Amino acid sequence: MSRFLVKRLAGAFVVLVLVSLMSFAIIWLVPGDPTAAFLDTSATPDQVARLRQQLGLDRPIAMQMLDWYARIVQGDLGHSILLNRSVTAAILERLPVTLSLAGLALAFALVMGVLAGIVAAVHHNRWPDQLVMSLALFGLSVPDFWLGIMLILLFAVKLGLFPTGGYVPFSEDPFGWAGTIIMPALTLAIIQVGFVARMTRASMLEILNQDFIRTADAKGLKRAEIMLRHGLPNALIPILTVGGIVAGALLGGAVIIEQVYSIPGVGRLIIGGILSRDYPVIQGGLLFLAVIYLTVNLVVDILYAVADPRVRLE
Amino acid sequence: MKRWFGFGTTALGAAVLLTASGSVLAQTKGGDVVIAITQAPPSLDAQVTSAQAARNVTLQIYETLYARDENAKPVPELSEEAKISADGKTYVFPIRKGVKFHNGKELDAKDVVASLERYRKVGASASLLSAIDKVTETGPHEVTVTLKDVQSTFLDNLSSPRAPIAIYPAEEAAKPANQINYIGTGPFRFVEYKPDSHVKIARYDGYVPNPKATGRDGLAGKKEVFLDTVTFRFMPEAGARSAAFEAGEVQLLETVEGATAKRLESDKRYVVYKVLPFAFQVIKFNHAQPPTNDVNFRLAVQAALDMEEIMAISYPDINQIDGAWLYPGAPFYTKTGTEKYNQADLNAAKALLAKSGYKGEKLTFIVDNLRANTDTATVVQQRLKDIGVNVELSVADWPTVSKIGFTPNGWQFWAHGYGIEPYEGPASVMAPWVNGTSQLKKDDKIDSLSAALNSAMDEGKRKEIFVEFQKHMYDNAVAMKAGNYGLFQVGTAKLKNFKPYRIPRMWGVWLEP
Amino acid sequence: MSIAIAKPELAPRSPTMIVIVRLFQSRSFLIGAALVLAIALVAVFADVLSPYDPLRNSFRTRLRPPDSTFWFGTDHFGRDILSRVIHGARISLVIGLMTALLTGIAGTMIGAVAGFFPTLDNPIMRLMDALMAFPAIVLAIAVAAVLGASVVNVIIALSIATTPHTARIVRASVLVVREREFIEAARALGASDLRVLCRHVMPNAFGPLIVRLTYVFATAILAEAALSFIGVGPPPPAPSFGSIIAQGRDFITEAPWITIFPGLAIIVSVLGLNLLGDGLRDVLDPRMRT
Repeated sequence: MSRFLVKRLAGAFVVLVLVSLMSFAIIWLVPGDPTAAFLDTSATPDQVARLRQQLGLDRPIAMQMLDWYARIVQGDLGHSILLNRSVTAAILERLPVTLSLAGLALAFALVMGVLAGIVAAVHHNRWPDQLVMSLALFGLSVPDFWLGIMLILLFAVKLGLFPTGGYVPFSEDPFGWAGTIIMPALTLAIIQVGFVARMTRASMLEILNQDFIRTADAKGLKRAEIMLRHGLPNALIPILTVGGIVAGALLGGAVIIEQVYSIPGVGRLIIGGILSRDYPVIQGGLLFLAVIYLTVNLVVDILYAVADPRVRLE
Repeated sequence: MKRWFGFGTTALGAAVLLTASGSVLAQTKGGDVVIAITQAPPSLDAQVTSAQAARNVTLQIYETLYARDENAKPVPELSEEAKISADGKTYVFPIRKGVKFHNGKELDAKDVVASLERYRKVGASASLLSAIDKVTETGPHEVTVTLKDVQSTFLDNLSSPRAPIAIYPAEEAAKPANQINYIGTGPFRFVEYKPDSHVKIARYDGYVPNPKATGRDGLAGKKEVFLDTVTFRFMPEAGARSAAFEAGEVQLLETVEGATAKRLESDKRYVVYKVLPFAFQVIKFNHAQPPTNDVNFRLAVQAALDMEEIMAISYPDINQIDGAWLYPGAPFYTKTGTEKYNQADLNAAKALLAKSGYKGEKLTFIVDNLRANTDTATVVQQRLKDIGVNVELSVADWPTVSKIGFTPNGWQFWAHGYGIEPYEGPASVMAPWVNGTSQLKKDDKIDSLSAALNSAMDEGKRKEIFVEFQKHMYDNAVAMKAGNYGLFQVGTAKLKNFKPYRIPRMWGVWLEP
Repeated sequence: MSIAIAKPELAPRSPTMIVIVRLFQSRSFLIGAALVLAIALVAVFADVLSPYDPLRNSFRTRLRPPDSTFWFGTDHFGRDILSRVIHGARISLVIGLMTALLTGIAGTMIGAVAGFFPTLDNPIMRLMDALMAFPAIVLAIAVAAVLGASVVNVIIALSIATTPHTARIVRASVLVVREREFIEAARALGASDLRVLCRHVMPNAFGPLIVRLTYVFATAILAEAALSFIGVGPPPPAPSFGSIIAQGRDFITEAPWITIFPGLAIIVSVLGLNLLGDGLRDVLDPRMRT
């Protein structure tokens, strides 16, 4: 086990170094720089050059890179040019927003997806199965941001049931929080609900066809009891292993959904950073997202290895 | 409906009855207004940014020695007046006494000197003060500025709202760009800036209005604040903005699409305001690249375009078909020399095109992804197809486009707005073309006209110079003005006495309960 | 109808024949194929099918709601949305197809090399892991911002974002096959690495790959729309599903039809591709059955 751990951690470290290199490289590949956000259309090249100097953008790229690495090893992601504050602080401030969005979406995806998957498996090949599977497929085929726009149009503009966007922290007003987060979380979850429902159905069907279930069936146990006592727990294992994939997908999806609903989360921070060339925000934000993704996958892998010893030998 | 972003309950102050110009207006003190703006200000250090998003906020917090009145004329604000020496090179500014900064400190000459010196170093438009030789404190409340050369536009520059020459307390002015505490003398004080979300400002109760001012007057005048707080909420999505407004979360929309304005107009709960003209829509040529270096080619394009079509699609219901390079009503405004504007004559265009060296090459129209600009480019592209000019659009975000657009390669056309320059006046309208900055090739005629305008103290002479510039723009098709466009702003009907201007001024307005 | 092909007298059949017969027995495959074919035909015959020129603006007919003249309404240029959606199918399908092809080529090469040559496996896969560590859409936005907005650049950006996962799938198939007896046998007979890889290993990785690429096709259509929404999609005036939606965003409350119809077109296309993918998967890659 410890050999597996060491190998896995070493691999993750290499990936992290590559990720940090890519995060840095992107800034000298992207044309344009942050001065554009400060100046209007009549800014002369002299003014731009002066601002570049003030912002420290005229230093050699190697210097900037050394600087950056010296900082990130201390956990400091640098100072945002446009937000005028530390990138770490900016990310940490937005993290609860993105986490509550992605977390709630994950909960929706798991609860709705697993329930739908069970219903479909139990009624295999009958109409509830077909209905659930059609809906799941539909969920997988809808552009989430478009769905978000449609939901805003319907529920916020026409019916006035939800606000159109923005975010209220839970600590300030739990009801306000729910009002601002439920619709975005549902929008974000839609694809994953379809995914999880399909996964659950498939693994339920597989389990239900196995010998011990048939034995239980033959023993005359009630069908519902068989499902819940034997089928479900076994079927959930493969679903939990895709937790890493789902979490990663939700994190990526949150970037777009935050944009649709004007939610001030990490994704909007990074997109804003890219579009305004706020270099430290781009670098720090990308690195941060990647680290989260790597950590989640590392944990999932380790848990999987604990659960299934064969994996360690691979 | 609950206000999701606002601040729950509104503290209603006592209704104060005031008599203004004969009529009785019930002004309500208190209330919180949320304004939806499209973009976050890049900085609240007013001196270092010339972005419109920043001006919206900073001009409520800070003040300048001179400021523009309703007709964009420079008038004294923190200064009592300007005593100009006979040779036109020395300006003495007596500073108003008793003016308080938001930290309670009284404004004096030291603050003014430090702020002007800071601007010369870090100001986003430091060239506004490039004529200055020395700034000296000649009394506790007196500052003397000496110029290197006579500059007819010095007070215009000093009062420019572009990147305002804001007066900060001396200790803040000692700090580098972007690192100050946001302290000014304006009618609002800074409360908080949540990047990516909002800026909040509150009424400054210690505000000392200009005693000489009588009413609201441009960015100067009497600034009386009734509201408790104003929150600028950053909402890039047009749909989200108008939806938030209709849900009651926002009281004022800084800009809405024409179609939205039309729809809201019929509703008694809302008032639609037009800020027109707000800017020029300009299509620039790159004179450093073929075929746009060829005057016949440029004249062909100028002859072909149907400005009405461009403006109707890009700025529906909020445009003026006007070829003059100043806003209507500006002191130097004239249509003389604009005869070649909006010809929409495809035959004339084809004839001119035949005289040019254009052989059907693919040309690049760079444009940022702001809808109206992309639309302008799209309409131009379709129109030029009719005379056999092959144009391809290259759309990118503003940082990329503005970088390419000031280099001589990679583009022939570029469209965007010019808002603040025509507001500032003739010298600013000419400035982008001086030294070939915007057209990428020096134009001696423009350079000499600009120099002449700057040194001519006689107004009649200056006016002649400007007419000559305007003629030159059309005769050479240096660049094309498509028209004036404006902004639709929409406020709740409860927002009283709001008068749209270059920025949504929050002084003088109140919110009915 | 097509079930007729599955008549028992056709047996014994070649493996390819078996696959084809099974595909035609799959309802998912048939419905999916029909939808995709329909959209593809619309794209190919766009010029014939569309009632108006999708690019010609006429500001006198701007923002017309759907009626008998303009079935899907018009946008703020006065352009017919139906014609734009029909032509949009072209660019959207091209982006999807080219992304799938490019990803297929890059993913196969990378995955095959990593799976077949153990010394290269680790460095290549760590690089793929690093690319996968960024959410695909963020990676695509960043790449599109670097390259600039154009159809080709959108294809490149999406391919970069979808290649790592594809390479991983190919590698996994290669790893499974590599140790089988017939590979050993081929090696023993003196076949070169490249020959073994191309003739014996790759055909066995083909099933999962083709399934994956169908989903990449679908994902690319969705992602193109998302990129357009962020503002880094294909430039105007040529329409894609995503760019029509993006242009409608400013008029969403007044002219929702600009946004609604291309969205529905995306759903139909992606649904068709997903069904097609499900059908292919059931037949070609039963292990991945979900």
